[in-house]
Amino acid sequence: MPEPPWREYRGRSRIACGGRCVMARNMAIFYLTLGLIIICSALFFAFDCRFLAASLSPAVPAAAAVQFVFVLCCLFRTTCSDPGIVPRGTPEEAAWIEEEIEPPKAEPHGAYRPQPRLKDVVIGGRVFKLKYCYTCKLWRPPRASHCSSCDNCVDRFDHHCPWVGNCVGRRNYRYFFMFLASLSVYCVYIMVFSIANIAILAKAKDNLFDALKESPASILVALVAFFSIWSVMGLAGFHVLLMCREVSTNEDIKGVFNKKRNPDCINPFDRGDGCANCCYVLFGPTQPSLLNVRPWRDDENNSDGEPYADGVGAGVISNTDGGEFDDQEDNGARELSSAEGLLSNGAGAGGGRRRGEPQYGSTETASVAQAEELPIGQVRITKSERSDSRPVNWESPEL
Amino acid sequence: AAKLAAGNNSSNRIINSSSNMSSSASLDKNPFTAGTTTVGATGTRKVFIPRDFTNGLELRFSTAFPVQLQGRIPEETFVAVVTNINEILTAAERGSPAVYMESIFACLTGYLLYLCIDTHYEKSLKQVSRLVAEYNRTTFEPNRLMLVDPSDRGLRVLEIVVLND
Repeated sequence: MPEPPWREYRGRSRIACGGRCVMARNMAIFYLTLGLIIICSALFFAFDCRFLAASLSPAVPAAAAVQFVFVLCCLFRTTCSDPGIVPRGTPEEAAWIEEEIEPPKAEPHGAYRPQPRLKDVVIGGRVFKLKYCYTCKLWRPPRASHCSSCDNCVDRFDHHCPWVGNCVGRRNYRYFFMFLASLSVYCVYIMVFSIANIAILAKAKDNLFDALKESPASILVALVAFFSIWSVMGLAGFHVLLMCREVSTNEDIKGVFNKKRNPDCINPFDRGDGCANCCYVLFGPTQPSLLNVRPWRDDENNSDGEPYADGVGAGVISNTDGGEFDDQEDNGARELSSAEGLLSNGAGAGGGRRRGEPQYGSTETASVAQAEELPIGQVRITKSERSDSRPVNWESPEL
Repeated sequence: AAKLAAGNNSSNRIINSSSNMSSSASLDKNPFTAGTTTVGATGTRKVFIPRDFTNGLELRFSTAFPVQLQGRIPEETFVAVVTNINEILTAAERGSPAVYMESIFACLTGYLLYLCIDTHYEKSLKQVSRLVAEYNRTTFEPNRLMLVDPSDRGLRVLEIVVLND
């Protein structure tokens, strides 16, 4: 069984709980965030809720409790989720790619050559330049970016948030936004009800000072909530705008889809409708962590899908779990059934499975060539034997 | 091994400096080994099929038939295999009403639902795993090849290991 990618992780994030939790290295500001939320909530529950349950309704602290739990769920999801880290390429992949992008030998007359580590890709009528990440040894997907704090490439990289103690990327953006939205609502709720509490007490005692003596924390909680609202709500509003345009913070800062900077630029990921964009970002399909993508590896044999009947494609494609494939277009299904036919032909014909029977000569040549080239007792490639011309920011597993 | 590689470095190929191959010249001439394969520890070669970004961020792999597989499996079989895998992966990334409902419901439960069920994407990747295992059993292993589950390679490449006879 191959090792899960998180065991070979070489970036600077922390990985815990058997690959399920991924956090940044420096968590100090996250503890501050968590502390502020917990302490303010504790003071609110201890002081204000006591009075409000009696003077207004027990629903007030109940709603506050629900919101508090929701905020913490979203915060921990954001902090501990893999943001969409793209696992580093294996040494063989790196060799394969670096061979392709080998810089050309220097021209004697110094002719200009484009940078070989860029590759052009056309998506929706717009040219994207894919970069080869030398640290992660992979072609960075469009919209991915390398986070220097965490030293890894993150898909649909938004930003690295120290308050949350993690990068915000494709996988945890929705949790981040939900955290901001729910925290804004919660801050407003706390501020309103702590001020209401002071007002009710002041009215009961006819003296503001006595009210404050009775519930001293209320004013503190109200102040902290008030100052938090500006930043949290502002950030939440900014992210609503970004989501409606289907642009990440990183792309916004770089002006990748900025029409003012480049009038010809189009955003091929924009669905045209702000609502549709928001829905896809917040409620669209979520990719599992590529660092820990197969926690089911042990019960692969006890799969919960239908067992294969006959033919390779037929068993899986027609008996799907969620039934989504039933909604596929007809031409997709036709393609698949023709593919199944080809595959069953391929599997059935040639019991000896030498599909290349007529071309046996050439395969023989290949295997003979291989035998010549490969010395007996192949030495295992180790990091120390690599002599790349590129600097490798890669720690050997042995270290 | 490093000395051998340096001595035989007829071209500036990084691949040779990192491999234990005795001669790079034979690599260049032999069409089955020139170019994109790497020697692994046990004398195996690997063919990598990269991601195909021509249709946007849709998760799909290129169906271009690598020359190193000529004679091992027919091109139609290879294209069918990659197309089938692409179909599942593309459907995994597509937002369907079921996926939206699942996400909204998860949000309402404070994302605690994800502790209990597999997401649509996870189910699709499990499907790909089963499909890859089946392909290996029926199509690839009989031809001395092995397809590596793309999940084990971070969905970056489809890796086909050419097993040494």
